Amino acid sequence: MKQEIIKILSSPKLFVYCLVWLMVLVVVGTVSQRDIGLFASQQRYFSSYIFLFGPIPLPGGRIVLALMLTNLISMMFKQNIWKMKKIGIIIVHLGGIMLLFGAGLTAIFSSEGSMVIEEGSRSNTVDDYHNTELTIINISEENYDIYTVFDQALFVSGNNLRHENLNFDITILEHMDNSTIEPIAGQSDIQYRGMLKNFSLKEISIDKDDMKNRPGIIFQVSGSFTDSDGIYGLIFGQSVPATLSINGKQYVMSIQKKKTYLPFAIELLDFKKVLHPGTQVAKSYSSRINLINDNIPRSVLIEMNKPLRHKGYTFFQASFIEGPDGEATVLAAVHNYGRLFPYISSIIMSIGLLLHLLTNLPSLLKKNRK
Amino acid sequence: MKKSNILSLIITLILFFDITDLYAKDFSEKNIPVQEGGRIKPLDTYARNQALAFYGKRKIKHENLSAIDWMMDLFIYPEIGLEQKIFNIRNPDIVNALGLEWTNNFHKYSYSEISPGLQNQMPLISNIIDKKEEDRDLFENQLVELYQNMMKYRQIASSLSCLLPMFTVYDPEIAEKLHIEPGQFTSYAHIMSHRGSLFNVSQNILTKSEDSWTESEREVALLLYNLQQTSLDEFAKALKIIPPAKDDTTGLWISPWELLDGREIKPHQDKIIKSMEAYLFARYEKNSSSMDDALKSYKTGVLSFPGDRVKFSILEKETWLNKANLFTLSLVFYLFGFILLGISWMVQPILFMNIAYGSLISGFILHTYGIYLRMVIMSRPPISTLYETIIFVGFVIVLLSVVIEFLRKDGLGIFIGSVSGSMLHYVGFGYAADGDTLEMLVAVLNSNFWLATHVTTIILGYGTSLMAGLIGHLYLIEKIRVPNNSSRLKSIYNNMFGVTLIALFFTLFGTILGGIWADQSWGRFWGWDPKENGALLIVLWQLMMVHMRLSGLAKPDRFALGMVLNNIVVIMAWFGVNLLSIGLHSYGFVSGVAVNIVLFTLFELFTGFGTYYWSQLNNRKTPV
Repeated sequence: MKQEIIKILSSPKLFVYCLVWLMVLVVVGTVSQRDIGLFASQQRYFSSYIFLFGPIPLPGGRIVLALMLTNLISMMFKQNIWKMKKIGIIIVHLGGIMLLFGAGLTAIFSSEGSMVIEEGSRSNTVDDYHNTELTIINISEENYDIYTVFDQALFVSGNNLRHENLNFDITILEHMDNSTIEPIAGQSDIQYRGMLKNFSLKEISIDKDDMKNRPGIIFQVSGSFTDSDGIYGLIFGQSVPATLSINGKQYVMSIQKKKTYLPFAIELLDFKKVLHPGTQVAKSYSSRINLINDNIPRSVLIEMNKPLRHKGYTFFQASFIEGPDGEATVLAAVHNYGRLFPYISSIIMSIGLLLHLLTNLPSLLKKNRK
Repeated sequence: MKKSNILSLIITLILFFDITDLYAKDFSEKNIPVQEGGRIKPLDTYARNQALAFYGKRKIKHENLSAIDWMMDLFIYPEIGLEQKIFNIRNPDIVNALGLEWTNNFHKYSYSEISPGLQNQMPLISNIIDKKEEDRDLFENQLVELYQNMMKYRQIASSLSCLLPMFTVYDPEIAEKLHIEPGQFTSYAHIMSHRGSLFNVSQNILTKSEDSWTESEREVALLLYNLQQTSLDEFAKALKIIPPAKDDTTGLWISPWELLDGREIKPHQDKIIKSMEAYLFARYEKNSSSMDDALKSYKTGVLSFPGDRVKFSILEKETWLNKANLFTLSLVFYLFGFILLGISWMVQPILFMNIAYGSLISGFILHTYGIYLRMVIMSRPPISTLYETIIFVGFVIVLLSVVIEFLRKDGLGIFIGSVSGSMLHYVGFGYAADGDTLEMLVAVLNSNFWLATHVTTIILGYGTSLMAGLIGHLYLIEKIRVPNNSSRLKSIYNNMFGVTLIALFFTLFGTILGGIWADQSWGRFWGWDPKENGALLIVLWQLMMVHMRLSGLAKPDRFALGMVLNNIVVIMAWFGVNLLSIGLHSYGFVSGVAVNIVLFTLFELFTGFGTYYWSQLNNRKTPV
């Protein structure tokens, strides 16, 4: 029985079927990027375990890759594989196992986001690309602010959000992945507070470019037993934040990209963009920064293809913003445990394939002369 | 039989030394450095690109003029240039819109012919220019292109008018003030550099009435009027031939007219425009020894530029490469090899096959040398643009063919090499027709290390994959032709499998290297971007074929069919994903490719499945 299972799991046929399905996923996932955008397509086909095709559930990228990894590992338990003649093949497959294993680590544990820093200012937070959060800041203390943050995962209709920092309760009424505000004509609902008195928050279809989506929530504030109890609305990127005043305490509420706080800060000294002379084609971008640890700055130059690596984080020159008051750099920040796996596995696989090629090619390329 | 190989090699070498010898000559006007498209290129390349843009060819064919001569004539006789039939208009709708007559096979029109029509269409043109490029239709695009070409042409025609000897005075006193002999012709630039000495005279002219002017004042007035007329050309700033001042940080070169806008003229700049002036005058007088002297002094002027040294040896190489047309020559050799191979099948197998092999090798050497020169000129690895991928895939396939032919010696390598080498050169010429093929790169690509490793490896992968597909075709054909010659079939099959393994090595390794590059510059190893997925698809397909063979799902015939179909996957990854025009990699977009991809796919499907089923039919008939 055990042998049977190993035989099926380690069979090259299983590998072929996985490959065929993976190719289908790759083709569908690539073509559909035209319609639903890269992020949505990646979530649906590649980063999923199961996805629905109409009513039919089909295996997503993660299941297929996990099956392929199992297939490769079980192959190593086969008796007839361990022969000197097959040394190249064994090495290649070991490399493959490492590559898939590293991919798994990255898929589960890595996080990425961006940092926007203006020239002359500093930052120690990374904004997630996709996830947002509800931030409520108590600004009534003189020397400090108190932040209370609720993750996007909690934005489910009917969910109650409560925290000891806050002297009121929040009940989520509605959550929208992408929304827009429209002025309303006439009288608004008596319960509405803040922005909702003059505007309505409406759900719209999701944009292909996930960065352009503006999530919105509508929620009920209760329990303060003041006039501030009522229904509020918030939208990502709103120019005037919502404010609440309850029993002498001032709160500012907003939806923002989920922030990660770094154990160090980055200060942008100078952003440089160089064009090929006489053209609009960029030759290089670079940011001269100070990396500040315990108030001690270290000067670093981040360039295209030359990132900064520090304390498990990697910072890349991703983009820039040119404004009337000067330039701002956009750094991509990545935290990834699996990043060395592709490097090592590619070396292993190349060695294996080369060994195999060197031992087999001469006889394959010759013309058989009998 | 080795003799003919050696013979053809010797012939090739002689040919080489013969042509390489050409560029040991003196500095010529072709090598005058110009800044365009972000790099310093020889005037010869500049002229060819302009001819290509206006006329559609790299020389003015109907007047049998080389691009450089055409451009020099345009500089010296701008008025004649306006009458020259130089604008190629291929769309009859445009010709109609301009109120011109559509002749049947010669659609060339002059500036003077087109200009009034375009003036009439100005409201329409400015309306189109305001539109986004993707919202314009073909007619609109072509009209705007023609308009921009006209403006550029006008600029180029006038760009050296400030250096042409067009002015003279006969009054000895004024002539002396201007540092010329009475009656000697001189240029706008020269007079402007001595304009201070005319100050008093011109003041007199302004204060006195016209009837009381002296003879010399009359002459100065006329001169000033003519200078005023010429100064209308000062918009002509297209030709950036003068290195900037030393303290300049932009790296922007300037045009002669810009130099005369009142700024301080540096010694090297002065030397350059004086020499250019002398050269134009000598050329006007057709005095070749003065032309040479002027050019020598021009080169000294450029060399005395205190900033980044201009590399004349590189400019000379590029000019030579323009002239030598190595890829065309290489195509000729490939075609010749193919024809000879055909002859060898009919008569005299050994002799003709060896000459064919020699011809293939000669073509390959020229091909290689062309790629090498392009690398030297741009000082970067062989592949960085879509055009270069095509040239390099051709190189890879022919290289493999040469090796396989060396091992097999039965014409198979010559056949594959000459056919695919010629085809890829031909496709390459299509891409070269878009303009300068030596382009500068956007920031993310501007990394020689990754261009050399990832890009080269992945293109090697494309090349070897296509090679495996071609052998797959051959295998299926041979299966139909000689179904019973099992040793021949076996050997071709082995070749195919060997090349597939090489291809898998390069595509797999190249794809992983690409991931590592992405990890280095964007922060993620893999992002499911279309180009990444395309490369992955090739790897997956080849892994599938190898494992199908291993698990017995694919016997040789089916393996061959699989590798033929792999060609479609390669073409999709290579050109197809650009059509999606999404993702980080879509910098190689070319419109109109879609039709060719569809045709190619249909062809491969049809011939692949056709030959496969035909060979299976034969299988059944053959008694076991």
